[in-house]
Amino acid sequence: MLYRTAGQFKTSYRADHALFPVRQDAWLLAFILLLAFVVFPMTANEFVFRALLTPVLIYALAALGLNILTGYAGQLSLGTGAFMGVGAYACYKLVTIFPDLNLIVAIMLSGFFSAAIGVAFGLPSLRIKGFYLAIATLAAQFFLVWLFEKWAWLYNYNSSGSIQVPTISVFGHPVAGPNATAIVQYYVVLVIVAVITWLAINITRGRIGRMWKAVRDMDIAAELVGINLMKAKLSAFAVSSYIVGVAGALFVFLWRGAAEPVAFDIPLSFRVLFIAIIGGLGSVLGNYLGAILIVALPVIISTLPASVGLPLSSAMVEHLNTMIIGALIILFLIVEPHGLARFWAIIREKLIMWPFPH
Amino acid sequence: MTRLISRMLLAGSLFGGLTLAGQALAEDAINVTNLSYRTGPFAATGTPLMNGQRDYITMLNERDGGVGGAKLVYDECETGYNTEKGAECYEKTKTTSIVTQPWSTGITLQVLPKTNVDKVPILAPGYGFSPMADGKVFQWAFNPPASYWDGASMILKNISEGNLENLKGKKIVLLHLDAPYGKEPIPLLNAYAEKYGFTLLPIPVGLKEMQNQSAQWLQIRRERPDFVLMWGWGAMNAGALAEAAKTKFPMDKFVGIWWSGSDADLKTIGEAGKGYRSISWSFPVSDSKVMKDIKQLVVEAGHSMLPREEFDYVFYQRGVVISMFVVEGIKEAQAHFKTKAVNAEQLRWGLENLKLDEKRLKEIGMEGMVPPFSTSCGNHSGHSGAWMLQWDGAKFVKVSERLEADQGMIEPLVLEGAKKYAESNAPWPVNEECK
Repeated sequence: MLYRTAGQFKTSYRADHALFPVRQDAWLLAFILLLAFVVFPMTANEFVFRALLTPVLIYALAALGLNILTGYAGQLSLGTGAFMGVGAYACYKLVTIFPDLNLIVAIMLSGFFSAAIGVAFGLPSLRIKGFYLAIATLAAQFFLVWLFEKWAWLYNYNSSGSIQVPTISVFGHPVAGPNATAIVQYYVVLVIVAVITWLAINITRGRIGRMWKAVRDMDIAAELVGINLMKAKLSAFAVSSYIVGVAGALFVFLWRGAAEPVAFDIPLSFRVLFIAIIGGLGSVLGNYLGAILIVALPVIISTLPASVGLPLSSAMVEHLNTMIIGALIILFLIVEPHGLARFWAIIREKLIMWPFPH
Repeated sequence: MTRLISRMLLAGSLFGGLTLAGQALAEDAINVTNLSYRTGPFAATGTPLMNGQRDYITMLNERDGGVGGAKLVYDECETGYNTEKGAECYEKTKTTSIVTQPWSTGITLQVLPKTNVDKVPILAPGYGFSPMADGKVFQWAFNPPASYWDGASMILKNISEGNLENLKGKKIVLLHLDAPYGKEPIPLLNAYAEKYGFTLLPIPVGLKEMQNQSAQWLQIRRERPDFVLMWGWGAMNAGALAEAAKTKFPMDKFVGIWWSGSDADLKTIGEAGKGYRSISWSFPVSDSKVMKDIKQLVVEAGHSMLPREEFDYVFYQRGVVISMFVVEGIKEAQAHFKTKAVNAEQLRWGLENLKLDEKRLKEIGMEGMVPPFSTSCGNHSGHSGAWMLQWDGAKFVKVSERLEADQGMIEPLVLEGAKKYAESNAPWPVNEECK
């Protein structure tokens, strides 16, 4: 009923290959974008911006980057946190060396640094696969975090060893630092994330994306049909690390405002990996669903008892939170091992037939 | 395990009941939220401090009905010592609570720039960023009664037996947590090393190596230092003490900062830790008036989450002292602004005008629990001085007179650090009125 596809005829291949072959999908997306661009900003307060909306978008972007590498190209990576760190430190150095540089430009440029590092650490992927590659990226994780700690030039020799974001204005409005308002930061993050997501959808649907998927499914077969494995794998590392680097720069500059090296340590990598896996490997939508589950849900749960007047101590709520999220993760993995995106796809298929299944 | 569960249940029921009661009395209530960490890798050292903070406030509510006619509401927001959660808690509590107690140097650094905009004072007693002592630059941040640099200076004074020239040619190892907190004393110790001609060797302990420090202690054995100073926290303290005992390092040459002096850490090695020293700006006095009242009105009345045997611990009673700083700030503000329900900006004034002299401490019933000190608009730390405590195998005892930090060495570094911070975070508002 809601998803009735009857009457939507495709008369050309072009129409059949469109991003939204079913009209309702386009409406749904339009509705979500309306929520994100108009409704949330009008209704949310500062806490909702800073604790829910902005982090969900940034984590979803990081997971999208990882998903391109792991979900589309099949190269498992455990170094996402460190690559985010490369983006963040690159952006920090860019804005401190060139104070007049536009912040948005700096964030976009900082992605190239992490892309370069990502390609360098992606080189072993030409020889090794699977778990062995995961260990190689784990080495990147440890090495880079160690470097963030030891190379004092990276944090401008601050005695605390951490990076602090000064107030940075773009076109006269403070966008980063203590004076920036949450709504401005949200909009900047939203626009960057939306644009990169749009690009990512089109890359993964096109020639390059198909090349990656072929490599993921069977690299020998892909090589036999004429795909250059080196090009395919390294381009996946480059695109993935670029997106992850941009996410890292956003993470520090438009959300946290300060970061110490340990912030980019392995728990961050795992968190992003969880988002990608729970959301669904090889999907773009899944990153958002996963980020909502892993990032937003704990915040919502932790505010719930107080808002309904349940007398629970905050430590208790934290214990419960860990248990609930853990149980949910296991539940979703049992119910649908292919992730929340696949879950949604099944619901959608059912809805198309509802209420008259064959 | 059962104790943990029962404690959790107790925590849930009692604490929840308390906050609920607090919320009902919205009028003339003052909310002082604590960013606590009763969970996570540092919970063991955090919990006694949180218990102390909570019990002092509970005691005041029970005994005096609050402070100056206003009920105190003590809430906790759990961070698990996680910076990200801490920032979230800050956002959640900044509109309700009149003070932010971040409880981690990482969280402090994160929220520090925001305080100028949000106008909520940060209280970071004995931790945080040492240059925060410069109140002209850090108008909203307070680190009474002493900063890490004060601590480092006092330790050096004590181990050199009052004459720093004695350190000439000596070798001192700084065993520190590889985090902003552990790196804090390095600039000052370097300045001392240069001036007095001793060798400083910082040995970092990564967060992943806290429990297994064999590599670090192998290095210490090879280097044969004259003293080992420790800036450790959580599991790192217990790890270092166990390793020192195992390698037979002489304990009387091993000195920790105030966060490395938890009874619980030393209890595990007991007699083997005899002689270990820790500088401290607080000392447990269980028969003081305040502690007696807490025992009677809170602990024995069943309002506390404290395991009984921890009542005499340094960390528990330090938590009590910390809450006292907040309450004294509120009292000063109430008197000055002639209002019951103090707001965040008024509390800032109060914390800037703390006058905790011997007389005042006696009135509160905290004689000997904290050295007397006072703050001003330019001095947000108070530089109270501290005592050297020594582990006698069963408990900590005072082994020194009150030590004073060498402000001649510290002040230029504070001013330089504050200036550098303000410059790299420009535009940064500076309190020009303060002379």
